[in-house]
Amino acid sequence: MPVPFERSVFLNCPFDGDYAPILQSIAFCVIDLGFHVRIAPENADGAAARLDRILELVRSSKFGIHDLSRCKSSEADEYYRMNMPFELGIDHGCRKFGGHELAEKSILILESNKFDYQKGLSDIAGWDIHSHGMDYVEAVRHVRDWLVHHAGADSIGTERVLGDYATFRGWHYEREITNGASERDIELYAPINVIRAMQDWYAAGKPDEFSA
Amino acid sequence: MSNRTISRKGQHVVPSQSGWSVRKAGAARASSVHATQEAAIAAATKIAKNQGTELYIHGRNGLIRERNSFRNEPRPPKA
Repeated sequence: MPVPFERSVFLNCPFDGDYAPILQSIAFCVIDLGFHVRIAPENADGAAARLDRILELVRSSKFGIHDLSRCKSSEADEYYRMNMPFELGIDHGCRKFGGHELAEKSILILESNKFDYQKGLSDIAGWDIHSHGMDYVEAVRHVRDWLVHHAGADSIGTERVLGDYATFRGWHYEREITNGASERDIELYAPINVIRAMQDWYAAGKPDEFSA
Repeated sequence: MSNRTISRKGQHVVPSQSGWSVRKAGAARASSVHATQEAAIAAATKIAKNQGTELYIHGRNGLIRERNSFRNEPRPPKA
């Protein structure tokens, strides 16, 4: 079943282990508010070039969340991670030049530390950019506020979303253990697998306990 | 698949803006807020024991880092 453009949120975020809890909390907030998460690994078909997959996600999503937290190298001689600002540029260009419904696209930009982005991407100075300090509560707060004010999401409070997130975590934990996973297995799940579990939980009516 | 149901909602210890909160699964708001994680765990443990349910302790990143069961019934067999 195709994902409707009006409810589709493209996530352009890092996929490393340190960032995974932030990515998962952002994805959860999007799903909890009734939107569809779109990330590059969802259609990781070996036959399609990565950039083509990203272009399709950008084109089919009215909303885009771009996290620039990994634009700064953390060690000497480490390269910048350029994918996130590149994909932000694609999304912005799509809105500016894509025409028709693409002109309605809305973008949220996140970073870890306030004004870090300006040092590597001064072209977007003055844009409304939000920092989360690698705190998942802050990340959820920014995403929730943006979805409510720019995407017409129901005005569910941040506190409620955070409560739902804890509930989901307990439900997911019990489901996976019941299905034969170990605690270590759960820790190592790829973000896309956890996001699919979030979609299962939402489709099941956001249960507050796991039944088997 | 058995028809087993976890009948009582677990308690969660989670980080919050003003410290650490105790939340019942499915609740819209925290039932209590504490300055330290230890205090929140103590409060949540008491509730979980009284209700015979699960206690989930989350890390600062929101993920579950520890789970304790105070249910009297045996754990279901793992698949």
